[in-house]
Amino acid sequence: MLLFLYKRAKCYNADMEFNNLQQNIFETGPITVDQFIKQLNDRIKPVNVKIIGEVSEAKCGPTGHMYFSLKDEKNPAVMSCAIWRSRYNLFGIQLKIGMKIVASGHCEIYAPSGRLSFICDSIELTGEGALKKEYDRLLAKLTAEGLFAPEKKRAIPKFCRRIGIITSKQGAVIHDFLNNIGKFGFQIEFIDSRVEGQLAVGDLLASIRTFKKSQIDVLVIMRGGGSLEAMLAFNNETIVREIAAFPVPVIAGIGHDKDVPLAAMAADVAVSTPTAAANLLTQSWQEIFRALDHYQSTIIGGYKNLLAQADSKLRQHTGILGNFRYILQNIVKSLDIKMAGFMAATKSAITAGASQIEYIEKIIESYNPERQLKLGYSIAKLNGKILKSAKSVKKGAELDIVLSDGIINSQVTGTKLN
Amino acid sequence: MENKKKSDSLNDNLKQLAEISAWFSGQKEIDIELGLEKVKIAAELIKTSKEKLNKLENEFKEIEKEFSGDQEQAESI
Repeated sequence: MLLFLYKRAKCYNADMEFNNLQQNIFETGPITVDQFIKQLNDRIKPVNVKIIGEVSEAKCGPTGHMYFSLKDEKNPAVMSCAIWRSRYNLFGIQLKIGMKIVASGHCEIYAPSGRLSFICDSIELTGEGALKKEYDRLLAKLTAEGLFAPEKKRAIPKFCRRIGIITSKQGAVIHDFLNNIGKFGFQIEFIDSRVEGQLAVGDLLASIRTFKKSQIDVLVIMRGGGSLEAMLAFNNETIVREIAAFPVPVIAGIGHDKDVPLAAMAADVAVSTPTAAANLLTQSWQEIFRALDHYQSTIIGGYKNLLAQADSKLRQHTGILGNFRYILQNIVKSLDIKMAGFMAATKSAITAGASQIEYIEKIIESYNPERQLKLGYSIAKLNGKILKSAKSVKKGAELDIVLSDGIINSQVTGTKLN
Repeated sequence: MENKKKSDSLNDNLKQLAEISAWFSGQKEIDIELGLEKVKIAAELIKTSKEKLNKLENEFKEIEKEFSGDQEQAESI
């Protein structure tokens, strides 16, 4: 069965033009075969279709172009097909007889042979089984080559500024990414690319190669999740190799169900959502904010600590001074007490001394002969010496009688002994 | 006190802040005046860094991919 998917508008226009051609041919008379083929080609070439069929014949031309036939699976119908070398290599499918494929392209008549051929823009395997088999084959091959080796992974540069993005302008992916990228002065260069099916391969490849010449810090390739068939382009060998060899780190934000797209495995970092890809890029910038808060806290906190330490030492010194003052006060107090004691003792001693003197004075006074004389006593002196015994004088001796107010000269007339 | 050149780079600012932070962490002898100098420098670095971060705006530009061109002629069909 050959399945023709016409673009409705183009198809309608082609029908109209073909009718006009028919009219013109009859109006203008016969035209050359070459002219006729050219006119036919002008009208059939713009009509792009997808056909599904089984490869019944395949041969590679001397210049690398691939020529093959697609036959209908049920009905006896065959179409000659060709795919040019660069396209054939791009899609990474080794055409083999019996392989079921979908070919996209247009019809063209090759004038020298008059043969109608289907010129393929893309070819893709169809059926989950075939796709899975091809996926596993390529996975094994590229793994063996070390294309996905962890040691090949490069770190996403910190504080990157220039970001290259490849994804479809349609859909939520680019919006999710931009909504989450924050404001960090990124210079975002975006290339709109198809991301669905095999037709996306050419777009993706051109986008990657364009960014290869651009001055970017990191490349982000994104698409939403999908089946193995939808992910064809991301399991394309050429694309996978381009990603693995890209000059700056690549982030793959490719959603998937079961089988991780090989493009994601070749990327330096693979995440599954555009939001995660954006977060990865903003991570280092977010860290700056956290770091600034941290430094603000540790530095200001550190200085507060210093101040607290200084204050504590100051208090400690003040305490020592306080103690010293207390000690001094104690010493002064002790001295005062001692001084008071000393003063009291001195005073007491003086008082005692004064009493003693007074007493002695009194004693002395009491022994003062003059005091006795005043009381009426008198002192008899013989030859200047105090006469103490009546026996010491003889009759006729001259005595001096000393009184309190004068001396009486006298002569002994007699003595009487007691 | 070591006077570092004022830098426009956020990365350099962070490095200087990390050094100052480490200085405070490792401080055993009290040097209040030196500490104050460092706090002043740190405050300035934090302020300018935050201002710079707050001013950052993204630039978004859509560019065209360059097709290498697969215009090939079939040598025969």
